[in-house]
Amino acid sequence: MPEPTTLGLQRSLASLVLEAEPPRLELLDGCREGLLAYRELVRDGLADPLETVFPVTVALLEAEDAWAGCLDTFLAARCVTSRHYRDIAPTFLGWLVDTAWGRDRWPWLLELVHFELLETLVYRAEDAPAPPGLAPDPAPGARVVLDPAAQVVAYTHAVHRATEERPRPEAGATHLLAYRDGEGLFQLLELTPATAALLVDPRPLGEVLAALGEPDPARAFSLLASLRKAGAIAGFRANLS
Amino acid sequence: MAPTPFTGVGLGLRRPHMEAVAREGAQGVPFWETCPENLIGEGGRHARWCGSILDRDPVLTHGLAGSVGGFDPWDEAYLGELGAFLTRTGTPWHSEHLCFTSVDGACLHDLLPLPFTREAARHTAARARDLQARLPVPLILENITYYAPLGRPELTEGQFITEVLEGADVGWLLDLNNVYVNALNFGFDPRAWLAAMPLHRVVQMHIAGHKRCGDLVIDTHGAPVIQPVLKLMQWTLQRLGRRVPVLLERDSHIPDLAELLAERETLQGAYDAAFLPAAAHA
Repeated sequence: MPEPTTLGLQRSLASLVLEAEPPRLELLDGCREGLLAYRELVRDGLADPLETVFPVTVALLEAEDAWAGCLDTFLAARCVTSRHYRDIAPTFLGWLVDTAWGRDRWPWLLELVHFELLETLVYRAEDAPAPPGLAPDPAPGARVVLDPAAQVVAYTHAVHRATEERPRPEAGATHLLAYRDGEGLFQLLELTPATAALLVDPRPLGEVLAALGEPDPARAFSLLASLRKAGAIAGFRANLS
Repeated sequence: MAPTPFTGVGLGLRRPHMEAVAREGAQGVPFWETCPENLIGEGGRHARWCGSILDRDPVLTHGLAGSVGGFDPWDEAYLGELGAFLTRTGTPWHSEHLCFTSVDGACLHDLLPLPFTREAARHTAARARDLQARLPVPLILENITYYAPLGRPELTEGQFITEVLEGADVGWLLDLNNVYVNALNFGFDPRAWLAAMPLHRVVQMHIAGHKRCGDLVIDTHGAPVIQPVLKLMQWTLQRLGRRVPVLLERDSHIPDLAELLAERETLQGAYDAAFLPAAAHA
């Protein structure tokens, strides 16, 4: 069955707006200025959430004369498939993962982009009911259950200290807890490796503390209780195994 | 029969105003319009504020990325979520744009024009009927701005819109700013254009601001409504003789809520004035 003319024209317009080097305008039989307006409108519309969510990344790449090329390549890949505008920024991260774009030149680029996206992901995470049967207080035989919106992340660079003025992060193991507080506001906490382990290790807290060489659990339990009150931890589940 | 809340001038519900509207009430706004794509699957405090407004106030829903004139298969999972959302809001209809937004799976997140051809009109009408069959409320379609015809037109824009609306047997969301912008860009009289259209299909209207960029006027939704568009709203309301709901859209350079409420009041005054006895002869 031949391709409908309408579909062919839609594909031509998509190429006009998404390809880094657009096809000849005569293909579309339209007025040049109007067609170029579509190219600008669509590209600006797709770039805007990236420039909003990733200001440090964009500052870095602009300073190194690479942002325009990055955006061209991303748009030409046509990987934005979600109808949700908020998904454009996560799609950009996924594209970086899949293509390894820029990884040779900026080995920590993925970490920086991931960190910049973290606030959006946590702040807007879909609400989920708290898992049932959780205890409010930590105990040696229990393990931590994070709030469904909270995330513990580990990076090899201090991406959380990078700024638009100094966008290159310094090397250094970094552990962060990102969560929503009682008001629903985004909060970020820098963790020690030991605290990060307490939050993500699936073993009972007593075993984790012993493995960490921490014989007195009181201090760790006090911290965990305060994180539960702050909204980062949903509660504590007794180990059934 | 109870009076419908869907009359007068409503406002688009936007993120910067969500908290204030949730906390302070409708503040005289008869209804809100919201975009399901921006809310479905969203959590956190903005979603909670929005949910409280949806549960409290009359709401109309307005789709952004339905791609009614496109060729990509429907996202059945999303349509299921959309149906549940529409039912929850109690919206009496759901609007989509007369355009395409995705091609071969790539979503362009803009309202792109359809060719003004019989083939495209038939295809779009069939897709609209197909979409209508999957929604729990009536579908209505909105005319868009366009900045260049796509391919060689066989029909005028008005003929194309009419063929789709009639072919799909759906209502019309008449965007007056889009008519005005198209009239400026392509040099026609908006009143004459409207007079030739199937106004009996108008269910709702949109009104907004625009911006001149070089030789083109762009539908930015980023400025107050100008007097000629306000007058066009009054002229159309008089022609319709029905108090159809008008929605003030503002999507960029969004001002403080107080400023937007003041603009809505002005438009409401113009809306009401259109139905005064003397206005019919003005």
